[in-house]
Amino acid sequence: MTLISFKYLQKQRLLILTVVLMLASVLFSITAFGFFGFYKTFNAYLGESDDIIVIYQTGSTTPFTGFIPLQLTSRIENITGVLASSPEVTAPTLVKRKSVFFRGVIPEEFSKLNPLTILNGKTLQLKDTDSAIVGKRLADTLNLAVGNKILVLGALAERYLELEIKGIYESNSAFDDEAIVPLYVGQWLRGTNYETVTLIRVKIDRGKLTPTLLYEAIAKEAKAPQPDGKTKPTPIEEIIPISNTAINPENLGVQETQKFMKTYLEKYGMTQETLLILSITVFVFASATIFGASHILIQQHEHETAVLRSLGTSTKTLRQDLIIKVLPWSLAASLIGVIGAMVILQVMKNSGLQALSHTILFKPDLPLIILNVLLVSAIVVLSVTYATKKLNPK
Amino acid sequence: MKTLSFRMLLRRSGTAESILAIALTVAILASITSVVNHVNSQAQTMGKLLNVGETFLILSRSSTSITDSKVDTELARLIRNITNTKYVLTQKVFTASLTTTSNQSTVVVRGVDTQAFLEARNAQINGVSANDTQANVGEILARLASINKGDEISIAVDNKTVTVEVAGIVQTFTQSDTELIVPMSIANLLTEDNDKVSFIEFAIKDGEQAEIDNLSEHLPANVKILKTQQTQAFIQEVNNQTVSFLSLWSIAVYAIVTAASYVVASRLTIESSYEVTMLKALGAKPTIPFKLILSFTLVIASLGCVLGLAIGLSGAQIISTATRWMWKNIQITPTLEIQQTTQIILFTLASSILGSIYPALKATRKTYAELPL
Repeated sequence: MTLISFKYLQKQRLLILTVVLMLASVLFSITAFGFFGFYKTFNAYLGESDDIIVIYQTGSTTPFTGFIPLQLTSRIENITGVLASSPEVTAPTLVKRKSVFFRGVIPEEFSKLNPLTILNGKTLQLKDTDSAIVGKRLADTLNLAVGNKILVLGALAERYLELEIKGIYESNSAFDDEAIVPLYVGQWLRGTNYETVTLIRVKIDRGKLTPTLLYEAIAKEAKAPQPDGKTKPTPIEEIIPISNTAINPENLGVQETQKFMKTYLEKYGMTQETLLILSITVFVFASATIFGASHILIQQHEHETAVLRSLGTSTKTLRQDLIIKVLPWSLAASLIGVIGAMVILQVMKNSGLQALSHTILFKPDLPLIILNVLLVSAIVVLSVTYATKKLNPK
Repeated sequence: MKTLSFRMLLRRSGTAESILAIALTVAILASITSVVNHVNSQAQTMGKLLNVGETFLILSRSSTSITDSKVDTELARLIRNITNTKYVLTQKVFTASLTTTSNQSTVVVRGVDTQAFLEARNAQINGVSANDTQANVGEILARLASINKGDEISIAVDNKTVTVEVAGIVQTFTQSDTELIVPMSIANLLTEDNDKVSFIEFAIKDGEQAEIDNLSEHLPANVKILKTQQTQAFIQEVNNQTVSFLSLWSIAVYAIVTAASYVVASRLTIESSYEVTMLKALGAKPTIPFKLILSFTLVIASLGCVLGLAIGLSGAQIISTATRWMWKNIQITPTLEIQQTTQIILFTLASSILGSIYPALKATRKTYAELPL
């Protein structure tokens, strides 16, 4: 006996199950998209391109707190395959009572790796001793305009300084939540001397150089005698005094930017797998409600199913039919849930929701959406199967 | 009769399932909150371990930066009298036109007690600290403007010009490396309003908050105190960002609790419809079923809450122990504060009431005649 054309389930009752499924889907999507958004934003923090690698201090506990010799920049620039290198100092600070990351850079070198679009004002020069350019999102958050003066207070060092906003830029990356200053200003805010930086990002020709080869080249450079200082000084050497520093390759790591960030996230147990397990756990815990809702639906139609059973419909046929009738609703519920979650996350993002002072960029992730649909469908099938087992056999 | 009816409802077979449904939802919230608490407390502990400075600034309350601030010079004496200070430095910061033998530029000038200032900064000096007819030049400014020790430079503000000798080139690893550091007497010559300075910087010996609180009480209302190193505030701000996400995320969890309560109450009205309508037939007031269903859901939600908190916390504890075995560097101690526990219980109960109102109202309308035969 085929029951497909027999509409014995009331739409209003189905709608209630759909709402419950939708809420579970919203919860799963917010959890998964939220955590994966954080994970992906920070993975892409220093660049997503394969040809950008980073030289960093292996022992540092966070990507913001390492120290490596600035002199490495000039020592690696002649290595075959190195196209550009950007030494950078990251300094956590407080501006207008908000936590802000300042990035000390050599603007010309930085722009070779991350071209910035200046939306307002002017671009930063290395000689701009008391200026900063700020990312669009940061400018919006702190209500900053070109020409404004800000008082910056250090978080890791006992430093305060006044800077004038020279420009507002957009990079379509995590840098839009940061402020960029000349390298030496970053060094003041970080509380370090002029010889060290947090990391050096290097743009390489993948055909000629790999991170391993670069590391080997650095190790070789470290053994080579120090330059005698008669070479033409670089623009940064003309401004700040940089003395010769011994390079210890054992303290240095060289990795692709994404792998570098991944290493730090994994240090704190944040892997794609753990985040996925966490999201699924949240869904599974919420699924008890779905079980209950499915049970209610079957109970509410006990009279109708009893009639069908007395007409000779087997439990198996009834179960299959119920699943077929409920599944499209569950599919719709999970998709509406995904859309709802995206809207909620977008609202959260627009209202200034951040993690580690950086805006989380939420993007719909197809595998996660498919997983969501599959999980909701699986729970619906399981719960309907469970509920039909309890049907009166008469 | 109410008690008897209530016990009858509680003894239903689905009661345990209903408690579990709410408990598991609460457990999600409890476990995530407890882990976030751990992360936040770790960050705060790390912040406390850092050697946080003891330097403070006194600026005018309305100012947003240093150059737009003006405070009374006399306040420096008050600070010296009240607090156990390492140093007190009045500073006047302004822009001026700098003329050297080779170029002319606009620079930031800092008027201070040069010797005390350079000592406080642990400055490296190529030369000596400036006296009343001299100036010190920051290392970076000296390089950019090609200034050497012994050079004569002119500093001009509007129509007032002072020519001074460069007593030394200084390196402080602060903004002063790009500034002209001059004695206050020269700064006063170039600017008006000699009773005012831009701000006062001071450092206290033992870094006790009580000293600062005491000073705050004695300061006029038009000034504010700022600590120069804001480690705790930075960490607090970053933690608040996590808490904000958690708060918004928890709304989705409470929505599930509301849905779960709706399901629980609906199931109760279906499964106990005979009993409820019988009560009404026996003369119970129409509000009795409403109260019964609402009370039932509240009891289920309360029990679910307690169980959920226990499951959430112990679950997080078990997972953290397992994580510690797998990755030795990850040490998580999940904790839940009392106010968070109270908040979870209250919000769960509120969500529960919200979810059960409609089924409860529906039950009051049902009459004996509506029951299926």
